[in-house]
Amino acid sequence: MTTGAAAIRGLPIEFTGLSKHFGSVVAVDDLAFTVEPGRVTGFLGPNGSGKTTTLRMLLGLVAPSSGQATIGGRFYRDIPNPTGLVGAVLEATSFHPSRRARTHLRMVARAGGHDEARADVVLDLVGLTADAKRKVGGFSMGMRQRLELATALIGDPDVLILDEPSNGLDPQGIAWLREFMRFLAGEGRTVLVSSHLLSEMAQTIDNAVIISHGQLKAQGSLESITAGISQTSMHARSPEADRLCAVLTGADMRFRRLAPDVVAVDGVTPEQLGPLLASQQIVLYELTNEGADLEAIFLELTSGLGFNEVGKPT
Amino acid sequence: MINAVRSELLKMRTMPGVWVCFGLAFPLTVLFMTAVFAGAGGFPGHTFYFVHTLNQERILLGAGYLGITFLAPITGVICITSEYRQKTITDTLISTPVRSRVLGAKVLVTSYWAILMAVLTLVVALAVGLPWNSSLGGTTSSVLDQAGAVIPGLVAASILLGLFGLGFGVLVKNQVAGILITIGTTFILEGILIALARAIFHYNLNWLPSSAAAALAGAVARGGFGGGNGHAPDLLAWWQGGLAMLGWGLIPLTIGYFTTFRRDVT
Repeated sequence: MTTGAAAIRGLPIEFTGLSKHFGSVVAVDDLAFTVEPGRVTGFLGPNGSGKTTTLRMLLGLVAPSSGQATIGGRFYRDIPNPTGLVGAVLEATSFHPSRRARTHLRMVARAGGHDEARADVVLDLVGLTADAKRKVGGFSMGMRQRLELATALIGDPDVLILDEPSNGLDPQGIAWLREFMRFLAGEGRTVLVSSHLLSEMAQTIDNAVIISHGQLKAQGSLESITAGISQTSMHARSPEADRLCAVLTGADMRFRRLAPDVVAVDGVTPEQLGPLLASQQIVLYELTNEGADLEAIFLELTSGLGFNEVGKPT
Repeated sequence: MINAVRSELLKMRTMPGVWVCFGLAFPLTVLFMTAVFAGAGGFPGHTFYFVHTLNQERILLGAGYLGITFLAPITGVICITSEYRQKTITDTLISTPVRSRVLGAKVLVTSYWAILMAVLTLVVALAVGLPWNSSLGGTTSSVLDQAGAVIPGLVAASILLGLFGLGFGVLVKNQVAGILITIGTTFILEGILIALARAIFHYNLNWLPSSAAAALAGAVARGGFGGGNGHAPDLLAWWQGGLAMLGWGLIPLTIGYFTTFRRDVT
């Protein structure tokens, strides 16, 4: 999923031996990777894996215990008027509820030394023009996410850092966000987007960086990551799901219970699974080959472990 | 720095808490003026009487001082603690990552709003107090003659009281705690400490915040709070009061900057 022939205007983001300890807790452990411009890079990991802490260190909000994170070779705090170069949306940020959307953006524009007229430009870009004069306190979660994106874009930055931007968005909003990120990367910008859902990001990202427990687990294009694992998944729908799980456990197969009557069996082919279930006389309503299950790969990478009989990582 | 200041000015302008403080400054000034006119005469048949002594004229012009003593610190507290209360500190530090610059901008903006508050109370004194005084038979010119003695101290006290609030706001980060500490210190704890120091150690504890601000406000405070003779012995000299107030602002601000304000924003 490349970005076409647009001129590269972004800058690389480099993490070098980055670590952060909160007391005895290691939040980020010797993280090293590079984010390339002109592409959408997914920064993926389960909740609590250290994604937000890493991004906060990049933006100078959290001091690293060791290592460094730079944008175009410079620390964020050393970039004059940084919002003109880097736009960032971080999780757990908020707005003053009594401030109007346009006022909020004018305030950010002033802080970055940008033209205050940019407020209307970015409101239009994220589809909030009609809500410009509304107080943010009355905004829905989706509108807040859009306003955060507008905030990040106020200085027309070459680098976009988005932390869980799809949280709270409805399917329509997620689809919009995907298009929007592709559009931004298509203009040659560097786009780094974090998420705890690989499946949600799979259609958007060019590259992925996967972390777990603060450690790098995999990086590269999605194809290169999945190629090394060749993970497939069969979904079985059965009124005898409990007995089905027992059979799978006995056969030493990995599985996940997706619903009371649906079980995902990982790393098997229909030729392996079908005869096994037939031999045990298990009633099936449906047996489908889901192919490479990104979520299963993600779980395997981020847990590094197998699955037990209730389908949870052991 | 100019960008940060411009942004902070707009930020303060869009905070309801700041406007509540300004809204309260108006009735409090009028209320205190009413008390001045009520206490000016004490003659039978006159509920209100025009101001006719030097101290009364000064108090009338600086009638906003009482409100300023707690509204200016609250404005300072709100300036910083709303960032943490509304979780806007992340966006602020992304826009202006050099934290000393953010704090410097907040010092300037708090000072600016403290000046505006002092000016507002002066305008109220001129717009309401002077016509009222004239209607009671007093002279306007004699009150206006006290402007030079009243205004500099009133404005300086307002600024330093605002910074006192900002300093404690930076230190504690919590808005309610910041307001309780500054107001509790000014109106409750300070009175208790002064009384205890006087009773037990025979010591004149006159360098605590509201006493120091009163000394700085000089003409107004001495007339109104220092015994009414214009030469209240309990207060510091105006410049000593100014230095003490500067300390009450800068010490928590500096400690807060090197501790809470530079901590990780998680």
